Amino acid sequence: MPKTFRLTRLLVLVLTVMSLLLSACGDQSTPSTQGIGQGAATAQPGQTTAAQAAQTAATSTGQGTMTDVGTPRSETLIVQTFDGKAANPDQQNPLNAYAIWRGFRELGWSFLWEDDTATGKSYPELAAGLPEVLNPQNTQFKVKLRPGVYWSDGVEFTADDVIYTLDIAFQNKTKFTRVAAYTSYIKSYKKIDNYTVEFETINPSYDFATAMGVYTWGAAFIPVPKHVFEKQADVTTFKNTNPVTLGPYTVKSFDPNGFWQLWELRSDWQRSGWGNLGQPKAKYVLYKDFGSEETRTLAFSKNQYDIDTFMSPDSIQAAQAKNPAITTFSPTLPYHDMNDACSYGVYLNQQKAPLDKPEVRWALALTLNLQQVGITSVNGQFKSSAVPIADTPITRSIYVDPVTTWLKDFKLADGYQPFNANFGTELAAKLKEQGVADAALPKGDAISQSFGTGWWKNDPAQAEKLLNSVGIKKGSDGFYATPDGKTWDLEFVIPGDWNKVMQRIGFSIADSWKKAGFKVNARQVDNGEFTTVQNTNNKFTTMMNWSGSCVYNSNFLNSWRTMNPSNVKDVNSSEALTGNFFRVTNTKIFDLIKASTSMETTSQPFITNGQEIMKELIKDMSVINIMNIPTTIPTNSFYWKNYSKQDNFYAAPYSWWSSFKKTLVNIQPTGQK
Amino acid sequence: MSILQYFAKRIGLYLVVLFIGITVTFFLPRLMPTNPIDGYIGQLQSRAGQTLTQEATAELRSSLEELYGLKGDILTQYFNYLKRVFLQFDFGPSFNSYPQPVSTMIFGALPWTLGLLLTTTLLSWLLGNLIGLVAGYFHNKRSATVLEVIGILLYPIPYYILALTVILVLAYFIPIFPLAPTFPNSGFSFEQVGGILYNSALPAITLVLAGFGWNILSMKSLAYTTKEEPYVIYARLKGTSNWTRMTRYVFRNAMLPQVTALVLSLGTVFNGALLTEILFSYPGIGLLMRTAASSGDYNLLYGAITMSIIAVATAGLVIDLIYPLFDPRIRYR
Repeated sequence: MPKTFRLTRLLVLVLTVMSLLLSACGDQSTPSTQGIGQGAATAQPGQTTAAQAAQTAATSTGQGTMTDVGTPRSETLIVQTFDGKAANPDQQNPLNAYAIWRGFRELGWSFLWEDDTATGKSYPELAAGLPEVLNPQNTQFKVKLRPGVYWSDGVEFTADDVIYTLDIAFQNKTKFTRVAAYTSYIKSYKKIDNYTVEFETINPSYDFATAMGVYTWGAAFIPVPKHVFEKQADVTTFKNTNPVTLGPYTVKSFDPNGFWQLWELRSDWQRSGWGNLGQPKAKYVLYKDFGSEETRTLAFSKNQYDIDTFMSPDSIQAAQAKNPAITTFSPTLPYHDMNDACSYGVYLNQQKAPLDKPEVRWALALTLNLQQVGITSVNGQFKSSAVPIADTPITRSIYVDPVTTWLKDFKLADGYQPFNANFGTELAAKLKEQGVADAALPKGDAISQSFGTGWWKNDPAQAEKLLNSVGIKKGSDGFYATPDGKTWDLEFVIPGDWNKVMQRIGFSIADSWKKAGFKVNARQVDNGEFTTVQNTNNKFTTMMNWSGSCVYNSNFLNSWRTMNPSNVKDVNSSEALTGNFFRVTNTKIFDLIKASTSMETTSQPFITNGQEIMKELIKDMSVINIMNIPTTIPTNSFYWKNYSKQDNFYAAPYSWWSSFKKTLVNIQPTGQK
Repeated sequence: MSILQYFAKRIGLYLVVLFIGITVTFFLPRLMPTNPIDGYIGQLQSRAGQTLTQEATAELRSSLEELYGLKGDILTQYFNYLKRVFLQFDFGPSFNSYPQPVSTMIFGALPWTLGLLLTTTLLSWLLGNLIGLVAGYFHNKRSATVLEVIGILLYPIPYYILALTVILVLAYFIPIFPLAPTFPNSGFSFEQVGGILYNSALPAITLVLAGFGWNILSMKSLAYTTKEEPYVIYARLKGTSNWTRMTRYVFRNAMLPQVTALVLSLGTVFNGALLTEILFSYPGIGLLMRTAASSGDYNLLYGAITMSIIAVATAGLVIDLIYPLFDPRIRYR
């Protein structure tokens, strides 16, 4: 036999063996598709393949498809993790940095008060009612606890647990890393009886229920079980792995590498911290990281999980094309949830020349072509907001509508009216012109609900006029130069890959400014440097940010109480700010904030102050607020249905907010096995 | 130079490299524009469920400086660091996952990285060199051309594209392996080991495919050149078989640069394989380093980089020490 032939034959043999091996592997791992071959109820011909193939990693046990972690798929709600991989999965002590994004706030912990994210109002959870104010200064409060609430190990939750948690937090406040929010807020506390605790705060407090409970996404104060913690030699290093919980779920198992965590419903869920909310429908909840966006899209389209987080619009579209059970928050533009507490904006260092001049800041706002930016960066899937907060169903009637009415008549010093109330209508028309299907576009009043109440005009000519008025003129290179004749190099910090939506919006804004004649240097940074730039005057010129505008209901102080003179540092200071990231120096705003700290946060005078603060921020153009945070949270209704959606909104749909508990109570199994 | 002098010189050089590397590792993160305390506070303020009051932020900042060991001048911090690293191999707590010790995090990730990368590096080296040897030695045969083409086709494919292709083929279109792995949580049993192997298969296949193309091409050209050396021609004239000439004459001489490349790549195994870990959700040291760098977790960064420096320096030392075994000429210099 010729040697060449022998070698070729060897090659063929190797390839055959490899193929056989792969086939053998396939036989073992391919699940039974009995009972799941119908695909989604709405599946079209030819699309059932995705559904059938969905159960790739599962095995048939007679009770339907099983998950990779050995639970029946039909009883398991599977959620993409918010943070990918947890760095410290076994660290489950909420008094220190812990694996926070693995469902603890949503399933394991319970708080004194929760927030109804559909209305923005607090409601009691562990407490029996809202806090009772005991003195006219609003510094003393009585809190009644709900009797009949039990820890997952069968011990009753009482005032002793609250007192013990506060005791160890105060005793170790320099060692615990997650207690400062309340150890710097509470002055004293005492137990009255097994179900009553009294508190005294350091300052007058009109937001006790949200300061000690939930404002939006979770509470700072998390009671820990006294009977467990008091047995530990050192509570500051105690990991509390597989914790005794107050919520209706307990940790069944978790990946020590941090990629997944499985929760199981307590058999006594009714007497858990929020058992009174109703029965959570999923017996198991699995938080799992499905990897890069590419693998997530593939896994999602194969029904391997039910709720995604921050998937890009392009990937959602790709997944939807493969699987009609995948839906966005809204069937029409802007498709995604726009109800986050915070909003995206351009923050400007108002202390740094030439940004210290309002004319310059206004010029930047008027040259930011938001229509173009929104279409380029997020395919028109955004809701604009000229008011420096997110425009949500909760804030609209309180703040956005009244301030918008004022904006329609608002004029700059030279009499120019910068507000364009038709922004939404023009955007809809532009999108239609670009080929977006008519059915996907909002009509009539829905335009304002979808695209916002208006934004600034795009008027580079007026911007140039404003700049010229303060000595900034275009040089021979076509870029604006400062009064001394030097080209103005404008640094614009934007997030790197860790926030792709902001990154894309940031680049698009830089492009818009460049076209208008600003020499912009868009610099991407990691999230660590991002915070450093945000906090430090001498490192900050302009940046994309969201952290200064988080106003979820009438209580703007939660975000803006740090706007005060102590948070105004020298322009060259390297000292870190502890708030006031807008760099406000307007004393009228400081006075309004100070006055508001001694007002009931839902009272009309408080709300009027809030509106006045917003007007002052706009007059100064302290921040160029852009849009609500577009949160893409697609869901898959192959195994579960009745998620919170635009037309069925019962709670913020985010799987990483504690309001996710309402999702668990409201979802329904589809019956797919 | 005696063999002892040779060893002493190499070991001395090794220690100097370690000292310089560890010193640079200490100072480099401090030149980064990231502040770990700002990072942690920012995380709390904006992403982790609290809006901290001004007082709380100031209080927390002070506590964190104390806990992270960032109080005091930089020289004091440096000497404390050297003492801890050299005497106790202790890198302190992770800033982002305080109070979790860095060593626990590194030693948690290391077995995964080593398990995957050592196996795949050795496998791709072995396969690549064997195929390259055959392709180079029988360079005028059609089957050798086929083997060479495999190498030429695989080598230039960007890793990202290769990995996605493997995922699409073996996890999506032919769902043999999982799209997103679920590694078993703990304990030891055959089922657990099977689970780990099954879930690691895709990244392993990709790494082998990505690695062995270069080995094929490199060994093929070495084997082809060596085959024409006078001592190989002499052996052929003496009537030795093809097998003997290929393995004992060509391979032994051609493998010297390949061994160097192998040991150096084994040293870099400690850096992890970031892209692989991201794409395949694989728990390794690469992801740890990336998180540490982006969040300014100095201690974790020190720990991971120090491990890497030790590994690369040790790999270099090992090459120097074992080279005389492969190349007798060195023994006579």
